[in-house]
Amino acid sequence: MKKEKPDFIVDGKRLDGRRPDELRPIKIEVGVLKRADGSCYLEMGDNKIIAAVYGPREVHPRHDQEATHAIVRYRYNMAPFSVEDRKRPGPDRRSVELSKVSRQALEPLVMKEYYPRSAIDIFMEVLQADAGTRTAGINAASLALADAGIPIKGLVSACSVGKVDDTVVLDLMKDEDNFGQADMPVAVSRGKITLLQMDGHLTQDEFHRALEMAISACKDIYELQRKALLEKHSKISFAEDSAKEEGT
Amino acid sequence: MSSEIIAEIKKDYMYNLIKKGERVDGRAFNDYRKIVIETGTIRKAEGSARVWLGDTQVQVGVKMQPGEPYPDTPDTGVIITSVELVPMASPSFEPGPPREDSIEIARVVDRGVRESGAIDLEKLLIAEDKVWMLFIDIHVLDHDGNLVDAASLGAIAALLTAKVPNKRYELGEDAALPIRDIPIAVTAADFEGQILLDPELDEERIASTRLTVISGKDGSIAGMQKSGIGTPTQEKIEEMVDIAIKKAKEIRETHFAEFLK
Amino acid sequence: MVVISEKKQVVVPGDLLSEDQSSAGDGTYVEDGKVYSLRYGVFEKVKGKLKVIPLSGKYIPSTGDVVIGKVIDINFSGWNTDINAPYYAFLRANEYFKRVDADELSRHLKIGDLILAKIIQIDARMRIDLTLNEPSLRALRSGRMVEISTTRIPRLIGRSGSMVNMLKRELKCDILIGQNGRVWVDGTDENVDLAIRTIVKVDEEAHTSGLTDRISEFIQKGKEKK
Repeated sequence: MKKEKPDFIVDGKRLDGRRPDELRPIKIEVGVLKRADGSCYLEMGDNKIIAAVYGPREVHPRHDQEATHAIVRYRYNMAPFSVEDRKRPGPDRRSVELSKVSRQALEPLVMKEYYPRSAIDIFMEVLQADAGTRTAGINAASLALADAGIPIKGLVSACSVGKVDDTVVLDLMKDEDNFGQADMPVAVSRGKITLLQMDGHLTQDEFHRALEMAISACKDIYELQRKALLEKHSKISFAEDSAKEEGT
Repeated sequence: MSSEIIAEIKKDYMYNLIKKGERVDGRAFNDYRKIVIETGTIRKAEGSARVWLGDTQVQVGVKMQPGEPYPDTPDTGVIITSVELVPMASPSFEPGPPREDSIEIARVVDRGVRESGAIDLEKLLIAEDKVWMLFIDIHVLDHDGNLVDAASLGAIAALLTAKVPNKRYELGEDAALPIRDIPIAVTAADFEGQILLDPELDEERIASTRLTVISGKDGSIAGMQKSGIGTPTQEKIEEMVDIAIKKAKEIRETHFAEFLK
Repeated sequence: MVVISEKKQVVVPGDLLSEDQSSAGDGTYVEDGKVYSLRYGVFEKVKGKLKVIPLSGKYIPSTGDVVIGKVIDINFSGWNTDINAPYYAFLRANEYFKRVDADELSRHLKIGDLILAKIIQIDARMRIDLTLNEPSLRALRSGRMVEISTTRIPRLIGRSGSMVNMLKRELKCDILIGQNGRVWVDGTDENVDLAIRTIVKVDEEAHTSGLTDRISEFIQKGKEKK
């Protein structure tokens, strides 16, 4: 069933009513799993992602360990029901690639030297996909790493930019991704770029504007990530305060 | 794996409590942990449910698409149930193809849905050689014991709230699935003669036997599975079955009341 | 980027703490002459050093620490234990408190047994060696164990042991504390139950003030309930 290509930008508004430089709504909750050492549930638009971290822990298989530092492993996985046409369980070539670039987006921030011969495992599951899952995953994984108490130099913030109807737009949704002219996921940490991919066609000028847009949006995402971590702690403190009152 | 080894003194403590009629988390032997079910959270799936059973957490999605029937049942829809024990759910789950645990849970949940006749599969016929394929995918997110009951609750909740995507395939308006029963799985664990329902993680580790009984609205049994290397007597088994059916009725009435009218 | 000025504030990794790189302490790192947080934790200034105490994280083993370990494997030369750290720790047969034969190791300590042991060596390959061969060290064959945050252990011990001694006295329990966040308690069922609830409370409220008094009250209330 072929979908007709709609007009993506009408009167300065996109299909979902957003301006070209507007992010989809983001919802974040840190510490949502019991067994994992750290975890985060995150929504970006209709993307629903859960990320979890185990570690540092012993490496299995043992021959994968590194003498001077921890190994960082990342597994991007989509649930079969996360997409329009059910996806067969298990990794495919796309998830292997996304796992690799996502790992490399976070690895530079991890103080691996603190834990030689150990593993820091990051797992990410897409429960519902709507374009931008890898960047949403990186946002969640950053928080899961912090939640697990892993020493990291900073949080990593990520989003995608692209081009539709010859206009550079931020945070593509699914239809924009499918029918658009370019898709460029970007991750930023402490002013440096840790993930950059591009699929499609951009002039150099468009690329410059797209990158500026992404970096600016990542700053906004960073504030939300930071807020989520502080909120988690204040929830604990609040519980203690009310416990205090009960005890007196 | 070291994460699965329970301290000896913990085992002793648990057995002492059981002798006194108590459990570590203060529950009665017949009590379930807190059950929370949220349906419809995955809009892209035809049906979905997130279940918390204590700290055990699963996300179930139901996807439907037209396909070919099995050759020996050309007029009925096809159900395919899978379980993914994703690595984040437990330090002992490794990435890779399904292991015996996940396959067992999937097959038990499937049996319950199928044998109870909960779904009228004959109503899933679209045309000659074309039926609805129903994928029930269970994604276990957090393992704190009794995955099979949580998975089964998620599956039936997702099915009850699912919409057949007729519109997408130009077959008419979207409609509810033809569901005739509400099978509920109840797992009982045997601790040297004492029967405990809904074993949490440590209880699961030390129980010699677990029995899962799936029953329907009328109290008839739609599926059973004994797990573990214990050897209960006939009396014990029948006692566990009786307790399970009674509990299933309670859970059905508490969490699926609107579907019982 | 945020400049932190308040003590005891929660910070996240990457938060800017100071422009004076000589003040960098635990849980921080220095880049371009500035001090940043490396952790999600509580920011503190102690004797001019800026520290971030993590809110969560594994126990980092240190030689000389007394820990509570759980036996997870046995081979011909000793017992492999889990000490709630990124690495397992090994108790060699000849570090047991008496002579044991290589083929009867499981008779002395079996899988699932708990031990109070001391870390005697951590080598370059992160192999951690334990000993049981000191008077206060032993197998723990009764009682219950609870795990709390490693960073709260000092608070649970208290200055010169004031908190833990108070607990032992008031709760009439035997209490052993491992640096690895594990606490072992023994006594009557009721007392151990109250002890564990008290220890959990100390863990949750360790960073607040007036804790000692509140804990004392909590214990009194718990005893009255019986």
